[in-house]
Amino acid sequence: MIDVALPAIVLFLLLNLVAGMIRVYRGPTLADRMLAALLFSTTTVASLLILAEWMAIPALRNVALLFVMLASILSLAFTGLPDRHDDEAGDS
Amino acid sequence: MLGIVLDLVIIASLIALAIQVVSGASLFRGIIHFIVMGLTLALAWARLGAPDLAMAEAAIGAGVTGALMMVAYRRLVEITPDHNPSRTGSRSRLALPIAVGAGGLVGLLGLGATLSDPEPGLAGLAVLEALQDEALGNPITGVLLLYRGLDTLLEIAVLLTAFLAAVAVTRREDLDYSITTRDPHTPLVGALLAIIVPLTVLVSVHLLKAGSHDPGGAFQAGAVLAACGVLLVLTSRVSASSQSRPLIGLGIVAGLISFSLIGLAAMLRGEPPMALPGMWAVYFIETAMMLSIALTLVLLFAGTESLRRNQHG
Repeated sequence: MIDVALPAIVLFLLLNLVAGMIRVYRGPTLADRMLAALLFSTTTVASLLILAEWMAIPALRNVALLFVMLASILSLAFTGLPDRHDDEAGDS
Repeated sequence: MLGIVLDLVIIASLIALAIQVVSGASLFRGIIHFIVMGLTLALAWARLGAPDLAMAEAAIGAGVTGALMMVAYRRLVEITPDHNPSRTGSRSRLALPIAVGAGGLVGLLGLGATLSDPEPGLAGLAVLEALQDEALGNPITGVLLLYRGLDTLLEIAVLLTAFLAAVAVTRREDLDYSITTRDPHTPLVGALLAIIVPLTVLVSVHLLKAGSHDPGGAFQAGAVLAACGVLLVLTSRVSASSQSRPLIGLGIVAGLISFSLIGLAAMLRGEPPMALPGMWAVYFIETAMMLSIALTLVLLFAGTESLRRNQHG
């Protein structure tokens, strides 16, 4: 039972990630894309934790820990960007 | 069964993301897709049972390269504010056939590799056998330090060379003002640093120590420590300086020098060069390498040869 449930949960999380990619792809503002990317980081952490249990590789929990710790760096680097829309041609 | 579906989803998203990274409509889109690709790549390494690589991907991808690209993008916008940094220029008609051909070739090689040789190589088995007698439980650290000591030493030397080359070509005065975040003195940033900085130091020491028996080691720990430094540079707690400091210079070469000296000292005892005298030497070299790797990455990020502390009231 648990051997089916764990991969099923990871698959569900991955499909969430794929759905979120639509927001990254379509934008329209820089902040939308950035927020979606940060959300992915959370989803990846959840997937890694479940993979660690399912595949019996405890070291994957350390990887998840790193992602949690380092996610803030990206947002800090992002907040220095000038306010402007990502209005490139061929969008939407 | 579910595992295969999982792998296929990861592969498909990786390919789609890679296409977006190189051919996305704007530079910023490319950067974001690259960051997301790093996350997915960590999942792929996890599925392949390679936590060491997933760890390196997490530390370098989430900690250093994403921020580096973001800062570079900002710099680009500042240099040419009117220029919309979207990609222009026509794509060659040959691009698609070449990409498909190269992808097919890689797929074919991978298929051939998985079908032809299910047995592990003899050399690998012999090394694993020999490592049973050593105190090092993690075969990757064992191979890096005991069997491939010279290669690891040269990797550190390459990092030092890259740093020297970067220092020779950077003009510091251009970089200083555009690298920090917008309001580095808001209370939120201080609270964040108070949590993250001690935690990163703790985790990097944990990874270094874990490296002797579990996935981890000097490179991963150094990358985490570098991420901590990048955070301090971004929030302008530490900033670029042209005044050289002996402590920083010593930190940059610590890994190379301690590894070389301990490796050469083996010849005085009549052993082959790079033979390590014991576990204390492994820990000593790994610690020195971690500090050198972290410091070099931070200095490369800040584009400077030295750092100074900023006072905050």
